[in-house]
Amino acid sequence: MEISFELNGEPVTVTVEPYMSLVDMLRAEMDVKSVKKGCEQGECGACTLLIDGAPVTSCLVLAPQVEGRHVTTIEGLEKNSLMIDLREAFIENGAVQCGFCTPGMLLSAYALLRDNPHPSMEEVKMGIEGNICRCTGFTKIIEAILDAVERIAPE
Amino acid sequence: MEYDKILSDILGREDFLVVGKNVVRTDALDKALGKAMYTADYVPRGTTLLKVYRSTVPHARIKSVDTAEALELPGVEAIYTGADVTGNNQIGYALPDQPFLNDEKVHYIGDPVALVCARDEYALEKAFQKISVEYEELPAMLDIDVSLSEDAVDIHEGGNIALTTRIRKGDAEKGFSEADVEVEETYWSPYQDHMYIETEAAYAVPEHGKVTVICNGQSPFLVREKVAHVLGWSLNQVRIIQALAGGAFGGKDDQGPLVSAYAAFAATKLGKPVALVWDRPESVSYSNKRFPARIKYRSGATEEGKVTAVEVDITLECGAYANRSPFWLWRQTAHAAGPYEVDNCSVDGRAVYTNKVYGGSFRGFGDLALHFAAETQMERLAYELSMDPIEFRLRNVLKVGSRTTCDQVLDHSVGLEQCLKAVRDASDWSSHREPVWEGSKVRGYGVGLAYHGISTSRSTPDWSAASILLNQDGSLTYRTGIVEIGQGSPFGHIKIVSEIIGVPPENIRIELPDTDSTLNAKPTHGSRGLMLGGTAAAKAALTLRENMVACASELFEVPYERIALVEGRAYDKEDPETSVSVRELAEEMYNRGYDPGAYGYFKAPKRFFDPETGLGVNYSVYTFAATVGEVEVDTETGETSVIRVWPAMDCGKAIDPLMIEGQIEGSISQGMGFALMENMELKDGLVINPGFKDYIVPSSMDTPQIEPCIIVEEPYRHGAFGAKGVGEPAIISVVPTITSAIHHATGLWFNTIPVRPWTMHKALKEAEP
Ligand code: FES
Ligand code: FES
Repeated sequence: MEISFELNGEPVTVTVEPYMSLVDMLRAEMDVKSVKKGCEQGECGACTLLIDGAPVTSCLVLAPQVEGRHVTTIEGLEKNSLMIDLREAFIENGAVQCGFCTPGMLLSAYALLRDNPHPSMEEVKMGIEGNICRCTGFTKIIEAILDAVERIAPE
Repeated sequence: MEYDKILSDILGREDFLVVGKNVVRTDALDKALGKAMYTADYVPRGTTLLKVYRSTVPHARIKSVDTAEALELPGVEAIYTGADVTGNNQIGYALPDQPFLNDEKVHYIGDPVALVCARDEYALEKAFQKISVEYEELPAMLDIDVSLSEDAVDIHEGGNIALTTRIRKGDAEKGFSEADVEVEETYWSPYQDHMYIETEAAYAVPEHGKVTVICNGQSPFLVREKVAHVLGWSLNQVRIIQALAGGAFGGKDDQGPLVSAYAAFAATKLGKPVALVWDRPESVSYSNKRFPARIKYRSGATEEGKVTAVEVDITLECGAYANRSPFWLWRQTAHAAGPYEVDNCSVDGRAVYTNKVYGGSFRGFGDLALHFAAETQMERLAYELSMDPIEFRLRNVLKVGSRTTCDQVLDHSVGLEQCLKAVRDASDWSSHREPVWEGSKVRGYGVGLAYHGISTSRSTPDWSAASILLNQDGSLTYRTGIVEIGQGSPFGHIKIVSEIIGVPPENIRIELPDTDSTLNAKPTHGSRGLMLGGTAAAKAALTLRENMVACASELFEVPYERIALVEGRAYDKEDPETSVSVRELAEEMYNRGYDPGAYGYFKAPKRFFDPETGLGVNYSVYTFAATVGEVEVDTETGETSVIRVWPAMDCGKAIDPLMIEGQIEGSISQGMGFALMENMELKDGLVINPGFKDYIVPSSMDTPQIEPCIIVEEPYRHGAFGAKGVGEPAIISVVPTITSAIHHATGLWFNTIPVRPWTMHKALKEAEP
């Protein structure tokens, strides 16, 4: 079947099987490889992306469900100032080891700070609860997100 | 040469410019942009998919495999069984006990029986339903005691004991006769799954007489060897390109050769590219786990607090195949007394087959289970002697001049005592000797120590190689077979190179390991990546440096000694105005005949051991660690949380303190998972919790406060700048620290991990007066 939606601000139309997952459509049909697969059970967060701005695990979404909606992956936020702050904070604080969780983690962190620019440590932990990182033990990721808060230019 | 003196003796500087500083990893940006490529990301659309058809019974003879009906299905391209293997149907790591494709017998639920190639996942699924295997079932040995019993059925020819180990140092019985107190306990540590977020994967592309595999192993040259062996080809017909790995922790060292061999075999047979990407249940159910171990441990000490003897009996559960057990068990045997000097040690080990998923490499190797037992014993002895657990340990810790369990004399680089004192002081240990109650919650402090031999086990020769090429424009290409699995070891190498040749790390590009163009660095395991691989890098850099200096000296017409290489420039120390950029220097080197490429080969000093007594020099050097931790036990729910951790480590020389912290924090999380949460559940040999949903790993909510790691630097003379490995030692002390803190808080001893809420709850109930 044919699906039309907006991917990172660009209108796109793809033909897929109706039972294909969103992550598979993006990876296999559209070559968007930043969306990772770690479990396909909605448990690891590696496939996190934004649908109409809200973080979602794309392995649990069927491709036809994004018809007419806005899908944002990390590529779409490359030049976004909040994402730049987050990215630099991640890199400088050593929050990136193997990097496999990183795109999903950054998107969850982005959604968190966009909605709550001054989160407490507890709120940061809750904001990334659905993203598993097996390498860092989360400490540097939490520090990086709190550091990004400091970097965000005052409005 | 003594590599800890490179700075003063060769670079002629007092301070490091790059080494020891936190420098931003050159790979982090691509990873944060989502542009970093992992194995599955290389697979083009439309590639034939491969899936491994596996046994559904734990122990059986295969009577027949029928694939005819499945082959008829649309989209199914080929199905291969053991009968199709024309090379060698054997892929065992240490012992030849593991068929590549099982055609006679299966040994656990998950043994590969056939390789199915199809156009997509739907066709694969249909094919799986149509394959039928007829088994003649054999009694399943699902427990080490069953495997060892009189009427056990042999899993492999030669019986159910894969191998044994032993150490006899001093006279254990005499040691016990001198002891005033004795404790004897049996400990059990179970399977642990790596749960790297990226599953195992391989993508193979065949051409005439050659196959290229992109994969996520840890030892590209081992992968090449195994692939060539299965195909019956020579090494130069197999090219392995190691992609970035999305976490590995040892597991991919064992699985890399297997997934690559499946993909390469199918691709060469089929004559077209083939991709194999495991799903999460496959990864959890069928790939190797941390080996379970039962350790019976007897120790004795005098009233003065000196340990006089240990007697340790280790039964390692291999599961279906021996895999790395000879090395794992040997490590446990050689470290058996823990990081203490004990004159009388008697150690026996055996690795036992069962019909369950096999064990294998995992961060910390056998030292995790061993230290859980050894450290709990120390804790119990201190308790028996009414002595402070840290004070008691300080009376026994390994120091310079001490002899380890296997009688290896530690002549330098032993910073354990400093680590222990540092965490004692940082945590204000003496003010926290009483548990603190708040409502139903109680908090306690615990301590744990660790030591971990750096280098391969069993005294196998250990060496490494690396190469650097200075390009005409002054940029550099660095090649190492040490792989990037998140730990950043190759980046540590280029910091070493950068320090030596005076070119900033961002000018040095790390190429992916490719067995056609990279020198063999041996595996990325045993925490040897930085020490062995980094020293090979240093040797290459020293050679290149010589050529750069020689060229600059000719150019400036001044003697060698006056040339400095710093920040991308060469200049005359006595007249800094006389200088060239590395770009100009590179051009001159090409034109004047100075070799712009260099390779470095480093062999670790020889090690040996006596097979009768187990005594000898077992490891090149040891990394030491100490941690203090605070836990909170909710006596109503039984839940235990780690609140705060103070880590310290003697890593020889910290090449990158930030990355070391990252290794330590990740280790605390994994160790905490092992001690308190993670548990593989098996029913009749089948893993019944194969995913993140039921196999619980720590999440952000479980993150404790981790105090800045205290780094102790006791340089290792024979390694670049004195560095020793970090990634594994970091996890070893975590588990006993947590169980020791639990005991401090609740008075309960746990000899089995994990201590999950219901276990704790039950124990608290039973302890009620
Ligand atoms: S792949 Fe979607 S949550 Fe794990
Ligand atoms: S950095 Fe490896 S999983 Fe997060």
